[in-house]
Amino acid sequence: MKRRTTFGLAAIGTVAALALAACGGSSKPTSQSTTSAGFNAGITGVVNSSSHTGGTLVFDNSSTPDSTDPGNTYYANMWNVARLYGRALVTYKTTPGASGDQIVPDLATSLGQISADGLTWTYHLKPGVKYENGTAVTSQDVKYAVERTYAKDVLPNGPGYFHLLLTDPNYPGPYKDKAPDKLGLTGVTTPDSSTIVFHLQKPFADFDYVAAIPQTVPVPPAKDTGANYQLHPVSTGPYMFQNYTLNKQFTLVKNPNWSASSDPNAKQLASKIVFNLNVNADTIDNNLIHNFANVDQEGSGVQAAARSQILSTPSLKQNADNALSGFLWFTYINQKVAPLTNVHCRRAVEYAADKVAYQTAYGGPVAGGEIASTVLTPTIVGYQKFDLYNALSQPHGDVAKAKQELTSCGQPNGFSTTMAFRADRPKEKATATAMQQALSRVGIKVTLQGYPSGKYFTDFAGVPTYVHQHNLGLDVGGWAPDWPDGYGMLYYVTAGPAIQPAGNTNIGELNDPAVNSMFDKAVATTDATARNAIWSQIDKQVMSDAVILPGVYAKSLLYRPPNMTNVFVQRYYAMYNYSTLGLK
Amino acid sequence: MPQAVIAFIVRRLIVTVFLLLVVSLITFGIFFLIPRLAGQSTYQLAEQYVGRNPTPQTIRLIERKLGFDQPLIVQYGRFIKGIVVGAHYNAGPDKTYCPPPCFGYSFRDQQPVWPVMMSDLPVTASLAFGAAVLWLVGGTAIGVLSALRRGSFFDRAAMGIALAGVSLPIFFTGLIALELFSFHWPIFPNIQFVPLSQNPYLWARNLVLPWVTLAFLYAALYARLTRAGMLETMGEDYIRTARAKGLPERKVIVKHGLRAALTPIVTIFGMDLGLLLGGAVLTEFTFSLHGLGLFTVLAIQNNDLPEILGVVMLAAFFVVIANLIVDILYAVVDPRVRY
Repeated sequence: MKRRTTFGLAAIGTVAALALAACGGSSKPTSQSTTSAGFNAGITGVVNSSSHTGGTLVFDNSSTPDSTDPGNTYYANMWNVARLYGRALVTYKTTPGASGDQIVPDLATSLGQISADGLTWTYHLKPGVKYENGTAVTSQDVKYAVERTYAKDVLPNGPGYFHLLLTDPNYPGPYKDKAPDKLGLTGVTTPDSSTIVFHLQKPFADFDYVAAIPQTVPVPPAKDTGANYQLHPVSTGPYMFQNYTLNKQFTLVKNPNWSASSDPNAKQLASKIVFNLNVNADTIDNNLIHNFANVDQEGSGVQAAARSQILSTPSLKQNADNALSGFLWFTYINQKVAPLTNVHCRRAVEYAADKVAYQTAYGGPVAGGEIASTVLTPTIVGYQKFDLYNALSQPHGDVAKAKQELTSCGQPNGFSTTMAFRADRPKEKATATAMQQALSRVGIKVTLQGYPSGKYFTDFAGVPTYVHQHNLGLDVGGWAPDWPDGYGMLYYVTAGPAIQPAGNTNIGELNDPAVNSMFDKAVATTDATARNAIWSQIDKQVMSDAVILPGVYAKSLLYRPPNMTNVFVQRYYAMYNYSTLGLK
Repeated sequence: MPQAVIAFIVRRLIVTVFLLLVVSLITFGIFFLIPRLAGQSTYQLAEQYVGRNPTPQTIRLIERKLGFDQPLIVQYGRFIKGIVVGAHYNAGPDKTYCPPPCFGYSFRDQQPVWPVMMSDLPVTASLAFGAAVLWLVGGTAIGVLSALRRGSFFDRAAMGIALAGVSLPIFFTGLIALELFSFHWPIFPNIQFVPLSQNPYLWARNLVLPWVTLAFLYAALYARLTRAGMLETMGEDYIRTARAKGLPERKVIVKHGLRAALTPIVTIFGMDLGLLLGGAVLTEFTFSLHGLGLFTVLAIQNNDLPEILGVVMLAAFFVVIANLIVDILYAVVDPRVRY
């Protein structure tokens, strides 16, 4: 799931604006007269709990959605927004803290019922759930929504898990479906209008997480307009589309056919919700601080100028939350590029890295994040803390251990390699520079090579042949999971079958049979406790293989205007939960 | 209208079409041909327009849908055909018709490019014309006064401010203006474009800061140009003759001095306005105005080739048309010029 980063064009202007703000920023009554629950209060609790209705919530977005079609989006913030107008079979529990990672029923009456062989998952729909036009939701509509995810030529953006997991992988999608009712996907059956059964190729214990993706939000076939459906998805949630001017603005209003009694996961408090798109990122921060807007839709935190202002002004700081963003920023260590083919050379890199410099490159403890020692982040179910390479005990690097490993590798005087990074990302460039300096202490000479981010995975670091030919032993990267457990976090960056000829995200090219078999075992383990223990074992094995150098567990500074109610950080989204917000 | 003028306009319009074809060919070559020459496969090109972790099948589907698997000449031909007769695009259950001039189908938005550009044009036009009035009137007036009071305090102060205006980038002056007049003293709060037809007052109120910011840059330039032109013109023999004949000073300045000094101003004004109509990138970005400038930024960010191609063509069109109008205006400003 992508969490879009914003870009700031106006560095000079921002500094100047900040200086002005610092001179007179405290004169704004709106942000000071209201009490709130304090710094980081939204991480552990609900701030300003209220059932007050009315008002217009304003969301600002410095970019645009990849799509507002629930079946065609891969952005975390859009999955969060989609809950306002779409109900998936299951969803994340609407609550702050660790329990927010828990899956609970939404459109379905319960979580999926697994067959004895683990190959079928059955969901029953709650009775009486309606679309915005008053017609009843059926299981066939959910099936049709799932079928749409196969039509990648029309709806290319969303994840492809159903295609990967279900039987009938060659289904062409409903637009090329020869069946009269366009419901020809045999991997999903609907015995009756309130039951839906998913047929899997092999057991996949995480299937409830897949069912929580907005791709199971029902779509009435008669209302499907394909690529144009994004302009008005038919609502089953508390709000529905009033209008949408692409790339500029869309407005949601209350859905009269939404029933609060069947949807404990959402509220319908504000009268209207306006989403302003492509707003300058610094303007968004100012809008939040001055109450012209309520929410930064992207949820990736305020920009540098506002961050300084907020942290240095107590009246603003009490309305902020420094939350883990779910991202891990790290460096791949490619085990196919000599001499990193030798695990001791890779471990030398792990030991020699200066984690404090890494953290500083990403912006320090508040804007950057916490120093990481594992691939699983603390927000992942199954995370266990360990520190194999003394990242926490010796955060500036363990030079002595690094030299020992180099000797074991047969390179006592070090070696040369190349480090790839995305040239248009200043933090990655700073990271590469910090790594270059840190590794030079043990004789590892690193040549830095920047690439455009748009082609980083498709043409360069994500193409194994290119990586081998250009000696890209180290590659800066990052990952956030599609769902908060070990599979979501680990599979695509460490599993052997995930290696692709292009667009590869397992850039370390780890193909460890031990890791691969643990993945197989985990996805067949239906007991959650046992499964979570395996994720941690994989994490330890991956770290032992030393193909990933964890940098920081990313954090961001979120700002919640004091006039908002029911505000809390949904840990899975790593941003405020949008489905319960209201105004005082 | 004299026949010679009509013939001139027709000739220029024919040249305009030819110029736009050349522009389209060059732009198309930059974005479609050069990556291929650099070794990028059509598979890799298609990979940029699918979600994360796509299967090879998905990438092939997109490659076919976007036509990358076709020879470049076919792709270019389809683009030109779309402009002339329109095109149909696969939207899923049915086909989306993109009427002429169809500038292609956005890879990212999955919508025809032309209607999106047209919805952004009023924003850019409002911004450009409003700012143009300010900088043309303000810049020229200051330039004339500075020239007439050469060496005075006013002249030095005006030229000093003009130098600052030319030197300061818009994203600096724009953010300062926003911080001061939108947030600190909310005289123009929460700037959002409102169409002129919807509410003329809000249209103007929301555009005051962008107008002033944009005009500050250009007015400074125009003031310096006008001053230099006026200084040169006012030293000409025919000005002395006009004064000697007893013409009032105002008439000497406006009819004989300014009119002659205006010729280069009109030329550069045409170019500037034409370029701005293609998108005032920095101003629109700074003030979050959804015009063609912001459209361009997003198109480049998203590597959305049809959008880039479309906006380049539109910008080229405006520049060429603006130049045509300037050429026609020459005859008005300078009686020596006839067609």
